[in-house]
Amino acid sequence: MTAVRTEGLVRRFGDRVALRGLDLRVPAGGIYVLIGRNGAGKTTTLNVLLGLLRPDAGAVSVLGAEPWTRAARVRARVGYLPESSALGYPWMTARQALAFHATYHPAWDQGYEHSLVEALEVPVEVRLDQLSKGQARGVQLVMALAHRPPLLLLDEPTDGLDPVLRDRALEILADFAGSGGATLLLSTHLVHEAERLADHVGILGRGELVVQHSRAELRERLRSYRARVPEGWPEPAELGGRVWARSRSTAEIEWRVWGDSDHVVAELSAAGATVREVSDLSLEEAARTILSAQGGRNGDG
Amino acid sequence: MEGRSRESLIRVRSEDPRPIYVQIMDEVRRGVVLGALRPDDPLPSVRDLAAELRVSPNTVAQAYRELERSGEAYTRRGVGTFVASGVDPGRLRESLARGIAEQALREAYRSGVGVDHLLAEIRRAAGQDARPEGASTP
Repeated sequence: MTAVRTEGLVRRFGDRVALRGLDLRVPAGGIYVLIGRNGAGKTTTLNVLLGLLRPDAGAVSVLGAEPWTRAARVRARVGYLPESSALGYPWMTARQALAFHATYHPAWDQGYEHSLVEALEVPVEVRLDQLSKGQARGVQLVMALAHRPPLLLLDEPTDGLDPVLRDRALEILADFAGSGGATLLLSTHLVHEAERLADHVGILGRGELVVQHSRAELRERLRSYRARVPEGWPEPAELGGRVWARSRSTAEIEWRVWGDSDHVVAELSAAGATVREVSDLSLEEAARTILSAQGGRNGDG
Repeated sequence: MEGRSRESLIRVRSEDPRPIYVQIMDEVRRGVVLGALRPDDPLPSVRDLAAELRVSPNTVAQAYRELERSGEAYTRRGVGTFVASGVDPGRLRESLARGIAEQALREAYRSGVGVDHLLAEIRRAAGQDARPEGASTP
């Protein structure tokens, strides 16, 4: 089952094309991490999914409904953490703002709200305009989670949190994901934080998904190969897969290749290279490899 | 988060090149080898362990499924996952030792160090009483 699906999503802002044919598939009951550089289109994507922005072309389904035609239904079932930590009612205390927010959500769970407020150390008697960025982020997280929505859309969820609260936020998200089949879609450029959480990965470059796979598939397909090569070695044109990166020292070459490992090793060995190491990439290494190749230096993605 | 029982002894590291579910499986095996987990002991619930380790619950569920498939754990529906009754610490120790050896070999090969050289260095290091206090030869 798919919790979120887009087809051929296009969104322009004047002359700038923010999304150019995005096909997103977020399976239900898992954590999908959307990775991209700043300006890649992550926030635009989430805003379209929430119905805050209408796309110029393409189809969107969020929990089976189109977000802008079924806005009330979709918003009741989605928890949303915006990119900005600005809160709407600066004169309210955090307690008042949460109580106000709760009135919009019949499913609001007060016990859960209290445990989140405690874990995130939200100072409930302080006016929203007096909160630090991290404290405001805490209030927003409570607002996104306390009605226990089946779908969470989180834009840079740990942005602005100190190391202790960041770790607690990750604990809260992992716990939420385990609390009965919830789906989490979170966007981030802090990839190392998402490494442990990711079931599915989408790498967004300039308004398009360059890669969209399960974490296991990504790990299996994109690997690093190090080989010793003879002097003046003529490097084969084909390595059995797409080469995303290549670096060379005097006697050794490292390739990062998208393909079948056995096949790549066979191609390298057949060409006379001595493969010394085949290793998995961390999610951060994989994302960096793909996003920097997409930047244009190694040809067009 | 709510009403969580005490922490487990299971630890994973993001920098470890092994997939996290494999690390969890090996941590359970280590618990059995060291006697911290005995046959028929319950493992933490998927939700508790996921929250404790800040990993996806699907990753914990995968680790438990694989342990079940290899006969090292069993699941009672609605109750939880338990260490298998017939689990053999001796065999698990062997398989852990194999994993450590493979890791060391990979590292050695990467640095151009041969098997004999590696073995000689391991013996020498062990002879210099490199063992932490309290460790004993099995």
